[in-house]
Amino acid sequence: MANAFGDLSAWQAMLDRHAELFSEMSAGSRVGFVSRSESGVTPGKHVAGLMAAKGAGDMMAWERRETGMQTSLEDYAGFQDARVDLLFVAEDEALAAMREALSGEALGMIKRLIRKGGIMFYVMKNKYQLQDAGYEEFLESLGLSFLGACR
Amino acid sequence: MNRPGEEKLKHLFRPGSIGRFKTKNMVKYGACCVSNYNGRDGFITPRELARVRVIASTGCGIITNQGAYPDPLGEGKAYFRQVAIFDDKFIPQFETIAGYIHDAGAVAIQQILHAGRYGGIDLGYCIQPSVVPQTLPHFRPPRELTKEQIKAIVAQHADAARRAIRAGFDGTEVTSFMGYLLANFNSRFTNQRSDEYGGSVENRGRFMRELIDAVKQATPDSPMLIRLNAAELMDRWGGNSEDECFELMQQAVDCGVDMISVTVGWQEAPESSFGRDVSPGHWNHLSAKAKRLFPKTAIAFGNRLPDPVMADQCIRDGVFDYWEVCRPLLADPELIHKAAEDRLNEVRPCIGSLNCLSRLFRDLPYTCTMNPVLGHEVEPEYAITPAVEKKRIMVIGAGPAGMEAAITARKRGHEVTVFEKSAHIGGNLAAYAANDLARPEDLRSVIDYYRVMADKLGIEVRLNTEANAKFMRSVLHQYDVCLVAAGARTDLGAFRYLEGAELLVDALEVAHGRIKPGHRVVMVGGGMIGLTIAESLTKAGHEVVVVEEEKRVAGDVMPTFKWRHTAWVDELGIRTLTSSRLVKVTSEGATVKNAKGEESFVAADTVLVSSPRKANHDLFHEFQWMVDELHGAGDAVIARGLDAAIHEGYRMGVRI
Ligand SMILES: Cc1cc2nc3c(=O)[nH]c(=O)nc-3n(C[C@H](O)[C@H](O)[C@H](O)COP(=O)(O)OP(=O)(O)OC[C@H]3O[C@@H](n4cnc5c(N)ncnc54)[C@H](O)[C@@H]3O)c2cc1C
Ligand SMILES: Cc1cc2nc3c(=O)[nH]c(=O)nc-3n(C[C@H](O)[C@H](O)[C@H](O)COP(=O)(O)O)c2cc1C
Ligand code: SF4
Repeated sequence: MANAFGDLSAWQAMLDRHAELFSEMSAGSRVGFVSRSESGVTPGKHVAGLMAAKGAGDMMAWERRETGMQTSLEDYAGFQDARVDLLFVAEDEALAAMREALSGEALGMIKRLIRKGGIMFYVMKNKYQLQDAGYEEFLESLGLSFLGACR
Repeated sequence: MNRPGEEKLKHLFRPGSIGRFKTKNMVKYGACCVSNYNGRDGFITPRELARVRVIASTGCGIITNQGAYPDPLGEGKAYFRQVAIFDDKFIPQFETIAGYIHDAGAVAIQQILHAGRYGGIDLGYCIQPSVVPQTLPHFRPPRELTKEQIKAIVAQHADAARRAIRAGFDGTEVTSFMGYLLANFNSRFTNQRSDEYGGSVENRGRFMRELIDAVKQATPDSPMLIRLNAAELMDRWGGNSEDECFELMQQAVDCGVDMISVTVGWQEAPESSFGRDVSPGHWNHLSAKAKRLFPKTAIAFGNRLPDPVMADQCIRDGVFDYWEVCRPLLADPELIHKAAEDRLNEVRPCIGSLNCLSRLFRDLPYTCTMNPVLGHEVEPEYAITPAVEKKRIMVIGAGPAGMEAAITARKRGHEVTVFEKSAHIGGNLAAYAANDLARPEDLRSVIDYYRVMADKLGIEVRLNTEANAKFMRSVLHQYDVCLVAAGARTDLGAFRYLEGAELLVDALEVAHGRIKPGHRVVMVGGGMIGLTIAESLTKAGHEVVVVEEEKRVAGDVMPTFKWRHTAWVDELGIRTLTSSRLVKVTSEGATVKNAKGEESFVAADTVLVSSPRKANHDLFHEFQWMVDELHGAGDAVIARGLDAAIHEGYRMGVRI
């Protein structure tokens, strides 16, 4: 396997199947996935240590283009340079589980992994910016807006 | 100690002390009062003052006033209408509050709340020890604090403490609750600094130690309290381990704090710390550990511990010194008095619904599901006052709306009779409790409360009595007022043109235990009612598929509880077909069509319908010319939920 995400065309097929989730998104909206181990974060350090791990790994980007959500692989040089609205940082087992689920319920799997802590996600935009950029449907499908504060 | 309950709960009601102050009992009103009732400029409003007056008279030995932000820029401000304490101009209002608390014989503590990662609500950013991006879209993008800024913030806390003491407060508390600034420094999750404020636990605790020193120097004669996490629940993502949390507590103890208020959780943590699904007493072991490790420092605790009897035992067993109560006192401000008077069965319970916090995070003033007056204390219209004209009131329906109205109206001196067609009170709340996977006993306790109060107040409840036109004719002119609180029903009529409609079964019949469904079930409707029943059936071994017309399930569920339902659906493996509607039913199952127009067949023994719901309006039309005053409350007006039923019932009760 060339990278932690495996065959990108399988991800693309999954995104195409769920095109309606991204239909309201404005062009240029971007979501990134990085693997926690590939990102060079040393054990014991948490994901915010990504800042220090310049260029240590790949990022799978999903970008909204005219034709829909497109996947691509990019160098990852820290979240500040990633130009994404949401960043998902996945444990290796979580990535493996996602790859397994690509032909089936991948989004359901991502949602479960977020709940279990296998995927951490960061928001680079605030709630209103995300709403304006048409993220509501996608976020809701992952149960993210449900993860309200104080429970 | 001369009230009967004080003798029974003698550990809770024994006197205590904090610093040079004596407390009349071992109960601390936990700062549970960031209310969003105040001015955008940080000034306290009459609404807040009226609320604080109620808080002051709860009977607690220590009252902690809501967290005020200490900086003029508002970087520490977490809520739009939070109280400020960054300038002397605010002192007069704090004087009023300290006065209320002292008049009630309690020790007054002012909390200082710098929200850090969750602050800057009016700004385009928040400040943190390090730039750790947000995981919840509600909050602002972070900026890293310089060392000069850290020093300034420490000084602002000291000034704020000095101001609080000048205003007459006896002591101050700094909170780190759920990830505020102090927690941001303490935690590995948010503190990635490489200078003397970051790295080791010793370094991460430096901000806290400087803060404690500064506050203590500014207010040398006044107790200083600190709220610290015993578990962040963020360990998997690099937050502090439990051991680190206790090391930090040790540092606070070494700095000489007078009390540690032990808390649990982090706003971004993937698990609940005090939601409905956490059982009372779940976190007691953490406070017991703090007590063991720091025997010379007072420990306050109460996170999800709503019961005074349990609290009394905990104090006896050395789990904590002070019971720190928050939400139970929102639901019933009389809780401590009722405990002291041995009237615990009359307590209006907190059901952990978290309506209060859900509203704060939607930038709304907080309210409480169980206490309709909360937030309206300033409005005389909400007060229970003797009715000028005593009326004879008939209430139709013994659900939450009807019972709430009956109790309130009776307290005002009206004569009240409740007519209920079923064999018990509680209405759909009883069915909710029968199917709830979180804490059914909490829901049942609401019904118990209604039963006790009806008995106590002499409200006649006529069970197995259906009110209809014929019945009304039989009681004509016996009542001045009729309140229709007959709830809502499932609208099976909405499917009348569907092939096989006669096979559909009302999900409420199943929820009430009147019908047993087959093994394979299709549930039409994935809202709060459909999901609750689907979850309970699945747990009991049924195979359930939920069919929902909307794009998502749980659309009508309280924001803080939606995740819980979606997690249950996942955990229990309940299949959901969203954007789908029922097109045909046979004895073999249901045919369903999705948004693309594709049909699929779901094999089922029973097809249940939980949605749409229809308010029981019929009685309004039938009774219109039969009684002087005719009113409605709860689901009978518009089908909604518990909050609306309880609040409307109460409002009718104080108005009629
Ligand atoms: C399974 C389930 C899950 C739920 N989950 C939630 C939730 O998560 N959150 C939430 O807020 N709400 C929830 N609810 C809804 C909540 O229980 C109701 O909104 C609430 O009970 C409404 O109160 P009410 O007093 O207006 O009506 P009801 O509770 O429906 O009470 C009406 C009463 O009137 C009686 N009645 C009707 N007609 C007559 C008549 N002609 N004569 C005499 N008596 C009559 C009925 O027997 C009933 O006892 C749930 C309900 C169920 C069943
Ligand atoms: C509406 C509301 C407001 C709160 N405000 C504060 C606050 O100002 N400062 C603070 O440290 N904690 C605050 N809390 C947390 C409570 O003090 C308490 O720790 C938490 O509710 C758990 O205790 P309980 O189970 O008794 O409610 C608040 C909680 C609620 C529900
Ligand atoms: S809103 Fe719910 S959780 Fe909050 S105090 Fe009231 S009953 Fe308790």
